[in-house]
Amino acid sequence: MAASPEFLVTVPTRGDGREPGRQDRGDWRPDARRPLPSFVTDPRAGASRPSDHLAQVGRAAEIATVGGALVPFDPEGEEALVVAAGLLRQSRHLRVVAGFHPGVATPVYAAKFSASLQRFAEGRLGWQLDVDLDPAVARSQGDFLTGADRYARAEEFLTVAKGVWHEEGYTHEGRFYQVLAGGFQSPNSGLPFPRVHLGGTAPEALALSARHADVHLFTAGEDVAAGVAALSERAAAEGREVAYGLRVPVLAREDEDEAWAGVRGLWALAGAPGDPPGPDPRTGLWPGFATIGGSTPLGLVGSYETVAAGIRGYLDQGVTTFVLEARPAVEETYRLGERLLPLFAKEIERVH
Amino acid sequence: MSIDIYWRIGTHGDQPSLRRRVTSRGEWAPVVPGSLAPGVRDGRRDGYSYVEHMADVARASESSGFVGGLLPSFPFTDDPWATAAALARETTTYRFMIAYQPGFLHPVQAARMSATLQRATGGRVVYNIISGGGGPAQLWWGDRVDHDDRYARTSEFLDVLKGVWGGGPFDYEGRFYRVEGAGLPEPLARQPFPEIYFSGSSKAAIEAAGRHADYYLSWLEPFPDLAAKFDQVRAHSTAIGRAPRFAVRIDVLARDTEEAAWDEVRRGWEHVDPSALTGPDGDSVGWLRSQSFVSWPVRHHRELEVSPNVWGGFHLLRGGPAFGLVGSYQQVAERLDELIGIGVDAFILAGVPHLEEAYRVGEEVLPLLKGRAHGRASGTAGPGRESSVSM
Ligand SMILES: Cc1cc2nc3c(=O)[nH]c(=O)nc-3n(C[C@H](O)[C@H](O)[C@H](O)COP(=O)(O)O)c2cc1C
Repeated sequence: MAASPEFLVTVPTRGDGREPGRQDRGDWRPDARRPLPSFVTDPRAGASRPSDHLAQVGRAAEIATVGGALVPFDPEGEEALVVAAGLLRQSRHLRVVAGFHPGVATPVYAAKFSASLQRFAEGRLGWQLDVDLDPAVARSQGDFLTGADRYARAEEFLTVAKGVWHEEGYTHEGRFYQVLAGGFQSPNSGLPFPRVHLGGTAPEALALSARHADVHLFTAGEDVAAGVAALSERAAAEGREVAYGLRVPVLAREDEDEAWAGVRGLWALAGAPGDPPGPDPRTGLWPGFATIGGSTPLGLVGSYETVAAGIRGYLDQGVTTFVLEARPAVEETYRLGERLLPLFAKEIERVH
Repeated sequence: MSIDIYWRIGTHGDQPSLRRRVTSRGEWAPVVPGSLAPGVRDGRRDGYSYVEHMADVARASESSGFVGGLLPSFPFTDDPWATAAALARETTTYRFMIAYQPGFLHPVQAARMSATLQRATGGRVVYNIISGGGGPAQLWWGDRVDHDDRYARTSEFLDVLKGVWGGGPFDYEGRFYRVEGAGLPEPLARQPFPEIYFSGSSKAAIEAAGRHADYYLSWLEPFPDLAAKFDQVRAHSTAIGRAPRFAVRIDVLARDTEEAAWDEVRRGWEHVDPSALTGPDGDSVGWLRSQSFVSWPVRHHRELEVSPNVWGGFHLLRGGPAFGLVGSYQQVAERLDELIGIGVDAFILAGVPHLEEAYRVGEEVLPLLKGRAHGRASGTAGPGRESSVSM
């Protein structure tokens, strides 16, 4: 029996635009914006802020009845916790997941920041902890831990964050962190801890998720069946249950022809040589998203029904959280809300 | 240079007056009928939280002439970064002065958060760099670094933060921080660097402030002591070729007449718990200084008036520092002019309740200010520059 899916959209934190690389929305590449002819009145000068576009994306997700938004950790983009705070403040329903890595703050501080947001937004904040950073990126963020130590620190980070969150008088003496008589007091106590999203397929990643993840996020292309089987077993051994999620770029249109015409158009605009490849016949995933501005190569292309069938395939494997990525974010979020999500109305209805 | 005047936002609830220590604004006391943000409707909480009231205070400050507000950070408060990020788009000119302790955030992360917030606000982020008061609160935060090392860490933190700000690649290897190939991405790197207000009264603080402060920030002290402290900071800074400006954080209780102001204090004093007449634990030199200006025990509230209108008992009527000004609108304006006369370039004012008092002080006191030329206090050596007031 397929469970009820839950959909999130991915917030563009390096600007956004109609086409790959254009990024003129959100003041990321102001030079890419095409000016109006000089004889046309243009009232925009000085009237907009770089954050206007992020706010617009958040409103689109809220209006389009999408369940949530993921603001990814991106060293080359906007800072996710700050963006998340803004999106939560301007929405009523949207759950917002902020991505960061454990080296950004002490666990006490990360928890303290988050407790305010949970109060401001009635518990709608989630965390996505990125543990497996590229080593050079990690060093540029001031983080020199490597290998299994990164998972050991992430484990202790989450232990301490949850410790101060749930326990007044909490004390901890560990390898990375110490706290003496800590712990939140009212009104910062008794709040729901941010829903924890983790990922990765390494044994250390699965061990961490077994103990701490609420949602384990796969990236499209990873061996989801094997991952679910291995992690479910590990989680059961910890007496826990983990939900599964998938990060997947999508390009969905009225029919197949229109979707593939869209792919060809973006492929050409991105300046990629030759014709775009077809989907992988075994998985149905199209491998070209990185070329057309996606954050990961493999994703779903096709009619709304085809894309929905792809998602159902994952639902059958136990995945329930779908973090979709579609650009440009505002228009595509509206499209998902109006055309793709209704195809899951039955599954969603069954649980509500 | 014009004078910048801020109005604090309380980040842990507020009282409707100084008469009683009842926190009916925010969730810090039980939510009952009469509580606001959250309030009670039909017997249930109305779904609002304290951030709604903070938004009201920010908007009230903005419209009554303040340039922005200080958001304090303690174990029991709301977090200033989270608050500023939430309120960024609900104000237009309001500057968010975020109090934070280096050491809790990585400087690269602080740079990223700041630049994103600069983009969200149009460059309205200001820092209040605090290095912690030690004692149990420091360990509560998970910080075991001792007093002078905290200032060493603060210094390194600001070196790294400034190092990555313009872009990079930036390498650094210090006692507390190490980065390699660091730097903000281009669109974030275009943002203006936040002004730094720097607090701390110890030797270590004054040395670090000399290197990093745009404004050296102090609690209010008797004016000659304040002037002496500024002289020390100035001496340290001059020695290394810098010239910080000076700021004071002051509680204000101003009324039409002096009698009305003191009467308000008296009404609060009737409820003061005598056992509250001791300071907190910790290694804060600033707090010990503030307590040294008063000879305890004290029986009558006016005994805490160490010089005309300068009253050292505010911490007994609400949480926070001891010293502030009590008097008529005219007197309070004159004292502020005197402070301008001894070299103060910026004020962070506060009053309880923050919402109503923002309007009062903005409308009744600030318009009476005359500026530096009129504020030369007798017996203190001010630089005597002309100044205009930007509120
Ligand atoms: C105007 C002002 C505001 C302060 N705000 C805070 C604050 O929000 N949170 C905090 O923990 N400490 C705050 N402090 C205290 C400092 O962290 C520090 O403990 C204090 O300045 C003592 O340092 P010292 O020992 O060098 O004098 C503030 C200090 C001043 C002067």
